[in-house]
Amino acid sequence: MLKVSELKDVSFNGREMGYVPPEKLRISKKLKLHTKASKKLDPITYEVIRHSLWNVNEEHGATIQRLSGSPVAMYALDLNPSILTEDGEFVYFGPYMQYMSGVTDTQVKWILENRSENPGIKDGDMFLANDPWVGAAHQQDVMLICPVFHEGELFCWVTNCLHQYDIGGITPSSFCMSAKDAFEEGILIPPVKIIEGGEIRKDIEDLYLRSSRKPASVALDFRAQLAGNTTAKERVESLLRKYGGDTVKAVMRKILNDGEAAFLEKMSRLPDGVWRDRTYVECSRPGDRKTHQVQLTLRKAGNTLIFENDGTAEQEGAMNATFSGWRGSIMVALNQLLCWDQYFAIGGALRHVKFDPTPGTMNCANFPASVSTAPVQAMEISLYPAYNVLAKMIYADQEMRKDIMCIGGTSQWPATIFRGKDQWGENFGYILVDPIGGAIGAFSTGDGISTGGQSRTPICKLPNIEHTEQTFPVLFLYRKELLDSGGAGLNRGGMSAETCFIPHNTATITHDTLSSGNAVPTSTGMMGGYPATVNVYKFKKDTDILSRFGASALPSDISEVSGQEVTLELRQQNFQQDPSDVYAVVWTGGGGYGDPLARDPEKVAEDVNENRAVSLQAAGEIYGVVLKANGEVDVAATASLRSEILARRKGYSVQGTPGKTPTKLSGKVFKQITENLNLQYPESGKSNKTGLRWACSHCATDLGSAKENYKLGCTRHDAPIAAANPNIGDWKRYVDEEPTFRQFFCPGCGYLIENEIARKTDPLLEDIQIKI
Amino acid sequence: MPGLHVGVDIGGTFTDCVVITEKGAVVTTKSPSTPPHFADGMVSALELASKELGMAFSDFCEKIAVLTHGTTVGTNALIQRRGAKVGMITTKGHEDAIHIMRGSRGVTSRNLNQVVHFPESQKPVPIVPKKWIRGVSERVDCMGAVVVPINKDDVEQAITELLDQGVEAIAVCLLWSFKTPAHEQYIKERILKRAPHIFVSCSVDLAPKWGEYERMTATALNAYIGPVTSDYLKKLDRRLKSAGYKKPLQITQCGGGSISVERAIEAPLLTLDSGPVSGVTGSQFLGRILNMENVITTDMGGTSFDVGIIHAGQPSFSFMANVAQYEYFIPKVDIQAIGSGGGSLAVVDRLTKTLRVGPESAGANPGPACYGKGNETPTVTDADLVLGYIDPDNFLGGKIVLDKEKSVAAVQRVADQLGLGLYETAAGIAKIAEFKMADIIRKTTVEKGLDPRDFSLFAFGGAGPVHAGIFARELGAQKVLVPLNRVASTWCAFGAATASLLHIHERVEILSSPFDLKRVNAVLAELYAGASKQMGADGIPASGRQFQFSVDMRHRGQINEVEVPLSSDSVKGGMKLTDKDLAQLIERFYVRYEAIYGKGSSYRDSRLEMVTFRLRAMGASRTVTLPKAKRSSSVIKEKAKTGKRKVYWTDLGKQAVTQVYNGELLEFGNTVAGPAIVETSHTTIVVHPQQKLLVDAYGNFELKLGR
Repeated sequence: MLKVSELKDVSFNGREMGYVPPEKLRISKKLKLHTKASKKLDPITYEVIRHSLWNVNEEHGATIQRLSGSPVAMYALDLNPSILTEDGEFVYFGPYMQYMSGVTDTQVKWILENRSENPGIKDGDMFLANDPWVGAAHQQDVMLICPVFHEGELFCWVTNCLHQYDIGGITPSSFCMSAKDAFEEGILIPPVKIIEGGEIRKDIEDLYLRSSRKPASVALDFRAQLAGNTTAKERVESLLRKYGGDTVKAVMRKILNDGEAAFLEKMSRLPDGVWRDRTYVECSRPGDRKTHQVQLTLRKAGNTLIFENDGTAEQEGAMNATFSGWRGSIMVALNQLLCWDQYFAIGGALRHVKFDPTPGTMNCANFPASVSTAPVQAMEISLYPAYNVLAKMIYADQEMRKDIMCIGGTSQWPATIFRGKDQWGENFGYILVDPIGGAIGAFSTGDGISTGGQSRTPICKLPNIEHTEQTFPVLFLYRKELLDSGGAGLNRGGMSAETCFIPHNTATITHDTLSSGNAVPTSTGMMGGYPATVNVYKFKKDTDILSRFGASALPSDISEVSGQEVTLELRQQNFQQDPSDVYAVVWTGGGGYGDPLARDPEKVAEDVNENRAVSLQAAGEIYGVVLKANGEVDVAATASLRSEILARRKGYSVQGTPGKTPTKLSGKVFKQITENLNLQYPESGKSNKTGLRWACSHCATDLGSAKENYKLGCTRHDAPIAAANPNIGDWKRYVDEEPTFRQFFCPGCGYLIENEIARKTDPLLEDIQIKI
Repeated sequence: MPGLHVGVDIGGTFTDCVVITEKGAVVTTKSPSTPPHFADGMVSALELASKELGMAFSDFCEKIAVLTHGTTVGTNALIQRRGAKVGMITTKGHEDAIHIMRGSRGVTSRNLNQVVHFPESQKPVPIVPKKWIRGVSERVDCMGAVVVPINKDDVEQAITELLDQGVEAIAVCLLWSFKTPAHEQYIKERILKRAPHIFVSCSVDLAPKWGEYERMTATALNAYIGPVTSDYLKKLDRRLKSAGYKKPLQITQCGGGSISVERAIEAPLLTLDSGPVSGVTGSQFLGRILNMENVITTDMGGTSFDVGIIHAGQPSFSFMANVAQYEYFIPKVDIQAIGSGGGSLAVVDRLTKTLRVGPESAGANPGPACYGKGNETPTVTDADLVLGYIDPDNFLGGKIVLDKEKSVAAVQRVADQLGLGLYETAAGIAKIAEFKMADIIRKTTVEKGLDPRDFSLFAFGGAGPVHAGIFARELGAQKVLVPLNRVASTWCAFGAATASLLHIHERVEILSSPFDLKRVNAVLAELYAGASKQMGADGIPASGRQFQFSVDMRHRGQINEVEVPLSSDSVKGGMKLTDKDLAQLIERFYVRYEAIYGKGSSYRDSRLEMVTFRLRAMGASRTVTLPKAKRSSSVIKEKAKTGKRKVYWTDLGKQAVTQVYNGELLEFGNTVAGPAIVETSHTTIVVHPQQKLLVDAYGNFELKLGR
């Protein structure tokens, strides 16, 4: 399969293939663009207008938030507003659902290319769009795109995107987990002019609402989107009146240029190289037991970053995302790790970022692949590995490494898609949003954040249980942070949670599951950190729960209720949950950072006693910490257990050269590359870079030539996948190929250099190559 | 109510006292605060006031109609994290709710750049650690039905374990308790039975609202500050009684009025943030006298800038508050704050050479560069000093002498980095700060569907009047008022003195259209009964009671609600709606909704929902008036002209020798044309070119804004 850059004579026009904007946009002469920017801009005026533009976007988001009709979209803050320049470069995007903005610029560019001639782009128009091949995560994310004019010229764009309750397709809520292709999913809308001369075109609105099971909700949301754009447009227009177009444009250009300069400065502090991450998606369609590989490669060459996905499985079933979805996902991590100090102004950085995926793969799928579940699966799995590759790239700089964050919770979404009659006698159908409670992965500077949300929506909020119970006919038995759910490490990943409910005030609920990451952990740790828990579905039929109600004996855990245990498949359709059937869902937690054996035993004790984050068993087995009966650290027993574990680690055979005795390097450290790895000169006095070698950063043991995979210089142990986290159950329930937990240790001191989760047959991953 | 109306505000340094006499004379006194025995300072301030009125102290105490006090004891306990050891009892299975924090990290009101930079976006330290939370078997559902009876053994065991742990207060919050409170009440009874000394905070008594996390937080915070606040108030009450003030002490609350000391002891959470709210109460009072229905209140201090809105004579409310990253339910006067005060730091980005002002602040310590306590980064105050707006020898009435040279050096460093001149840079810092303030005010008004051009702006706080002329002009506000010359420095105490008794009763009953009138009326009757009981307990005669009923409504399926009043004016008794009233109410909802969200934003095909019914029960409002000067004079007395100094004026683009006035010597009818500086003992009013300052009959400074 060929990458975009290698494909010749293929049109990336947003129909068969995802739209890839050309370097130079083809825009009709009918449309005049405002391109003039004042050369003279004093820093005071700049800051005043910059702040106003930021506020315009904030007010835009707040307006939609206040007006939107869909509570589920609102709790997940499944929306995002943006401002773009006349030619589609980001000025600002909002702090809400991050990958929604990541797909906006392609929409704007497509409109410029395809709508400027016919039907034309005029003041007072807005375009409705949701076509994932043009730019959308999935069909439910509907965008309203509004050009802003100044003195007859197209000045800029204000746009927003908002997740819709239902826009058609074979499954209520439009998450069509069993769809064979896009023809079984929600309506596809390439950009159409729905607002013309400031008025809603009723014919287009009717067409839009017609496919939805919830037309009133969609209509209310559409008004929210309209009000958002109108507010933002009026605010920009008042800035234009006050300061003039050329000055405001100069501010926009400076925001972009400053963002670019800041990005380039960061690039100059980092070595060139290649960073890779590999992970897996389970279950592309009902009955599927394959694991589908997802690979992400980041290349840094001077100022340029190139992202590639070769090695990723082919598009299949209903697990896919389009090019814009993949690109939008990566932009989330890019923004958070590299551009967070630029106030969501990623446009400047994007000038130096290239995306070169392989069309036909699951996260760069061609039409008409099924993509309606993309945000809970294909996009998550595209996003989170980007944290890993970027983190390993920025580690080399002492300041930037403070921004490192491991993969967070809900790295694959264990969806509970349910429907039926609610307690008010009406039909309902939606997805349980509890997993947005997520978890934040560990940092290089400290522990992750338990149930701290999903990093891709930095300000989202889980609905209260009382809100969910009012809206849907369910009763929650518990929602609790889950022991050992955070990845172990020097810094522990945040805990995720488990939520458990029964149907209530209804005869039955019909469910579909939709999940991945139940057999193979997807919240992998980093630099020796362990993965977090996998997703878990727990389902018990015909339990004693209702008699427990009568006896006032509520359970704390599903394991306490008696009943028939049922293993749910990852895309199981149409199963019934009756009022005595108990259903619990666990979502993945945050990955750990660094070797757990290096964690301060006092912190482990606190995690056991105070935070209820780590079990006694994990404290011993993973952290090598022994606690006394009163909870205090048994210092002597801990020291002896830890040295025993280190000795065992050193005793495994070295990958590349079995039987080799470890030697220490005596030369100067050239650069620290990860928490555990240095590039080092072999002997003092030597400074020939071609002789650089990998070394353990803790004891300077030689781990081999810098030109080779450092893992070859480590001792290796392949543990069963269940050793990676106490919450991982039997993988055989879901997949055919065995996953393993590969660990690579320093042969000199036993320090855990890195872990790798892979199918047994997969080759060793070379996650870091530094260009010297 | 005849007699003296007294307000006392205890700050870290001074205890302020304001007395409004029957004739409307206003006496203000200041006395040093006396921590930890705050009552001493309070009595001293009262004694000073009695002297000023020429009354014996015992006479004075006897003549007080009502003494209202604003306390920050709860706030301080929270900030310093010196609250009680709190245990919590909740529904089994939901013990972690307060830790999960709705999967959010308490990001409201935090700087967004920190929020998205996750290493800086940690959750706050929990108010109740996991080891002090117990679940009991019991369950109510969304209909209010008891699905699981309460397990009494669980309750006893939970209480035993928490007491064994040595908790000092217990918060009780069960799922859906606001629908059916019996289980919470049972637990409360049991705790009090077994441990009468324990402070118990029950969610239904405090915040009977829909949403367990915010309800739980309110309950836990209340328990956390409960023991310390009640200790303080009890001591104070005793001290005042022995000094001769026998009537019930009133405490200001965040809803904008006052509550009895008994209620404050039960619900200390109501006292959080009551200080800034008192400023709004005072403004509402003054606005009423001046016939200003629409007022934006701004309070700019050293570290923050607080904005309140009074529209059609009523302060705007929010029903969710946050403190230290915890969000909780409480009906309160809405105060929006940004970290932009005199201490906001002006920083140049190394790479992009752009200038940012705030939100980082130098605070009070080390404070601006001119404080000379080691901060070398210029702040807004430093810029003010460089520009000549403020006098280094007369800052805060000369309490702190400022080092102008340090300001110049600090601003010059920034100027050099930007390649601009010293004055240009100082003016730029001021301008950025002013425009940011204009932005937040705009946001605060527009988000409520209001237009700032319909408002007058009140500026108080030491730094406010320095900048109000510009941010108000930028907003298009009608004018700026710097209130009551001699009261401005004790504005919160003034607010307390003017506060009326106010209890806000809420009841959640989620009803969908077509509405069941019987149920609506039943809820209204229930609210009225509760309020009447409370008013009775407060000793308010039926004739002195006023009630405002309202309901929060929304389109069915939406989460955002709009508060719609049930009648345009307050009423004297209960309310019973007719079909016609209901139709009008629905119409009023659409009007209100579209006023806030824009024409065409409502969708009449969608069903409506009522969610929270609310009753504001008030004691009769004060009838006091303020004394008015009779004779006006256009002639400014020579002694009011205190000198001239060089001031840099942005509008002129240069420095100009500018007349400085002593504001305290200006009289009714005096007009000062800008450019000019008017100084009082606590603030400085900058009158820009094209602007005019007038003194009105009450002694307020009114700034007419040039365009």
